[in-house]
Amino acid sequence: MNPANNDIRLLLVVGIAAMLMLFISVLLSFIFTQRKKLQFQQSLHALQQAQQYHLVEAAVRSEETERHRIAEKLHDEVGALLSSSKLHFKMMILKNADSQSRTLFDKGNELLDDAITEIRGISHNLHSYILQEFGLNEAIKHFSEKIADSPLIKITTKLDDHYKTTVPQNDIALYRITQELLNNILKHAEANIIHISSVYKNSVLNLTLVYNGQGLTQEMFEELCYTNEGLGLKNIQSRIYLLKGSISFFKVNNDYHIKISVPTLITT
Amino acid sequence: MLHIIQLIVDWSEVWALLVPMLFCKKQPVLFKPVVFYIFIAFFINLAVDIIWKFRTMIPTAFNSNNYLYNLHSIVRFLLFSLFFIRLNQPYLLILKKAIPILFMAFVLINFGFWENFFNYWQFSSRLLSVEAFFLIFYSLQYYLFKINENVEVDIFTPDFWVVTGLGIYMTINFFIFLLHNELTIRLQSFSISLWKVHDVSYIIFNLFLAKALYESSKQ
Repeated sequence: MNPANNDIRLLLVVGIAAMLMLFISVLLSFIFTQRKKLQFQQSLHALQQAQQYHLVEAAVRSEETERHRIAEKLHDEVGALLSSSKLHFKMMILKNADSQSRTLFDKGNELLDDAITEIRGISHNLHSYILQEFGLNEAIKHFSEKIADSPLIKITTKLDDHYKTTVPQNDIALYRITQELLNNILKHAEANIIHISSVYKNSVLNLTLVYNGQGLTQEMFEELCYTNEGLGLKNIQSRIYLLKGSISFFKVNNDYHIKISVPTLITT
Repeated sequence: MLHIIQLIVDWSEVWALLVPMLFCKKQPVLFKPVVFYIFIAFFINLAVDIIWKFRTMIPTAFNSNNYLYNLHSIVRFLLFSLFFIRLNQPYLLILKKAIPILFMAFVLINFGFWENFFNYWQFSSRLLSVEAFFLIFYSLQYYLFKINENVEVDIFTPDFWVVTGLGIYMTINFFIFLLHNELTIRLQSFSISLWKVHDVSYIIFNLFLAKALYESSKQ
């Protein structure tokens, strides 16, 4: 056997092996480094998500606290002052008063009654005492009855009684979402029939609003969320995000549907 | 059985290209050079194998397929250079654009002064090994750039599969190409057996290309 031929063979085998090892080591170090970087990016992303979640949570909670504080002030302080004024008003003696003074007295009394009712309404809107005392279903029913107090609109409810409050703050969020959606339907949809229903299954609450008129589709909702006009919708989106739930808008035949799904075991 | 395996390996340079060819439809501009390569290589390799199998029936002046290997090498290098340039990695940009020009200058000088492009007995080891060297350089610089870049979603992108397949193929074959002329003179039977290593690496290369084109068509 020619030694020069053996040298070529050896050179070839060693050369191929060395080149392959070099390439594989570069490839492995590349994959290893990229994996590490990817993991770091993912953890950074998770951190950013968590931070964003906390920011939304803080914003929503502080709004709720402020609503509660104003509601309490209005109910307990302004409401009490007005009631006291009303009492003083009632105790006034108008024996020698002329008819003009009497008319003025009656008008003042009437305005005071209106102010008391209005303050009570605002206070209850800002903080639902029914929600606090009787839970989500009753609060939604009460709110629906209140706004359906007109022959122009009919609101029906069919809410699942199996649902029991686990996290009160979640109920507040759900109530606010329903309030906002109903207000939007009344304001923009020109609807005359609204049906609210809920199903509680596998620790997930599915709340559905069905209405006629001019509704929203998913695309329109997403578009409006990115414009300055959709402040209420942005609020809804924030609360849904906070509840780790989902909201979808769709049309079936002539009716518009809004479906909200919220896992109730989530503690925010 | 051995005969069948022999036949499969012998024709691997043709049928292996059919695998990535399945996913050639609707490819983005970046992968057009790869798609072109697959089709051009298929016809060149088909001609190579037909000439080789029917060499006894073809007139002597036309029964050598070695110039087709040279042609394949030039086409492959230019198309993959275009692929690497189109990757738009702002890293060694001038060098990457200069390499195809340098390569073409080398081809002209080499075949103008030293070697015969239509050499009847052997393909140009010098051409194929220079091609392999530059393509390995392209592959390594790809990884170096990617290491410094932020990973967005996935490491195993379609371009990663192309570069890795090409890198593996060229790494295995660099010394085979470099010493092929020498081996055909000194150890002819060994050189023929060694070409089977090339054929297997070519199948692997094509599988990587198929994976790349499949992933790219999914996106």
